[in-house]
Amino acid sequence: MPASARRGLIAAGLLAPAALVFALLFLWPQFGLFLQSLEGPPTYSRFLGDGYYLGVLGNSLLLGVCVTLVTLVLGFPLAFLLARAETRWAGLLLLLTTFPLWVSAVVRSFAWMVLFFRSGVASRLLQGSGLVPPDFQLIGTFAGVVIALAQVLLPIMIVTLYAVIRGIDRDLEHAAMNLGASPAVALWLVTLRLARGGVLAGSLLVFSLSVSAFATPSMIGGARAHFMAVTIYEQTLELLDWPFAAAIAAILLVISLSVALTYGRLLGERAR
Amino acid sequence: MTSLRSPLGWVLRALALLGFIYLLGPLLVIVAASFSDTGYLAFPPQGFSLRWYQAALADARYLNGFFVSLRLAAMVAALSLLVGTAAAVALTRFAFPGSVLLEALFLSPLVLPALVLAVALTLFFAANPIAPPGMTRLVVSHLLVGVPMVLRVMLPVLRRVDPAIEEAARNLGASPVKAFLLVTLPALRPGLVAAAALAFIFSFDEVEMALFLGSVRDAPLTVVLYGAAQMQMDPTVAAVSSLLILLALLLMVAQQVYANR
Repeated sequence: MPASARRGLIAAGLLAPAALVFALLFLWPQFGLFLQSLEGPPTYSRFLGDGYYLGVLGNSLLLGVCVTLVTLVLGFPLAFLLARAETRWAGLLLLLTTFPLWVSAVVRSFAWMVLFFRSGVASRLLQGSGLVPPDFQLIGTFAGVVIALAQVLLPIMIVTLYAVIRGIDRDLEHAAMNLGASPAVALWLVTLRLARGGVLAGSLLVFSLSVSAFATPSMIGGARAHFMAVTIYEQTLELLDWPFAAAIAAILLVISLSVALTYGRLLGERAR
Repeated sequence: MTSLRSPLGWVLRALALLGFIYLLGPLLVIVAASFSDTGYLAFPPQGFSLRWYQAALADARYLNGFFVSLRLAAMVAALSLLVGTAAAVALTRFAFPGSVLLEALFLSPLVLPALVLAVALTLFFAANPIAPPGMTRLVVSHLLVGVPMVLRVMLPVLRRVDPAIEEAARNLGASPVKAFLLVTLPALRPGLVAAAALAFIFSFDEVEMALFLGSVRDAPLTVVLYGAAQMQMDPTVAAVSSLLILLALLLMVAQQVYANR
């Protein structure tokens, strides 16, 4: 056998298991999902023509925007200080910041349930402020889901921003300040501008993960969690309306894919 | 650093401190609440008791769930490593048409919602019952994310290892297999360990696909916890969660010790 044919066989052999897994368990099921969404009474027009389901979509998109904003506001200072820290504690602090990623989202969401239920600390603080009725609890509220999900996704934002800020030349900031810029102006004009790509990349990532999040919205949102992933879950496992579940899943897929493609183009532009 | 001594620096520090408390506080709350000597979940905890840990360890659902999760994660890590590394070697060491497209396809599950993958697989298995419900379906569904995770770690690692070293070994008389095992593999080991750890943690912590594809008998710990958390505010759930936090801490420390060897 010629050497090139043998090399081809080896390559095919190495690729075969992955190709089989992806053809059988990824391409076929995804295609089947799309086909099933077209079965029976029209599913897409039912989703897009029903105020309730449009509200679910709007809720998920709004959740994505809110969570992205919270993770940006809290994540940027942390990532910035960690990237610029010169103490030997910086490594340990970065490790602690990413530690929650090692813990299941179920456990992390449960922690918020402890704080959010009627006699939980966070709900009691709000009741004490007199801004809410005495039997108020954060469980089942949109704000509660935002607070919990932003905490679950914050490490991902920090890791993305950290990598970008580490790559920014600090001399540029110093140069701006030597030229008379105040630290605030230097941070705004130089660091934030240069970190723009990272801010956008982190935001797209967190947005996409929030829109399709399931565990946290369903645990904190309670019985009235009107979010995309929770609705798909209900339609698939509780109402057994598979064509409709498939259609909602396909809509969610399109949203995630378009965010991912934007993200990919962004990274491609930066690499160039 | 100059800009950090300014008022802006203090604003940044205050926000960072807030972010830090926000990030880790809830985990500490859950650990504290698990020791409470009350029949309900209390934070701040009242008294000190280990009875919720006793209750957790005596509950067959949690114990069974833990071993299901452990078996699942071990199988997913091992299979993802095998399938993913083989594909990564093919994609980096052999030039063939369509390899860029294939790489994009193999990595794409990482950007898709786990729930969509789970629904697609649920419908697929309902129409084609090629695998029994429970462990088998869980393993194959997690492979869909485990393999891309291994690829994402191993592709850059393989691209950094110079194929010329392997060629040199072969010029010195080593067979292709021997050259790979003796020369390339040791250089890949840290990457392989990191990739396997990622796949293991992912599978151990995953809940969406597990909810859709597990069975009552093969319910991973995350699924058991998810169900229990929705029933009542039971301190036993806090005890199990605390044990999981401790396990994650031990794994993270082990990973650091290995990486800094």
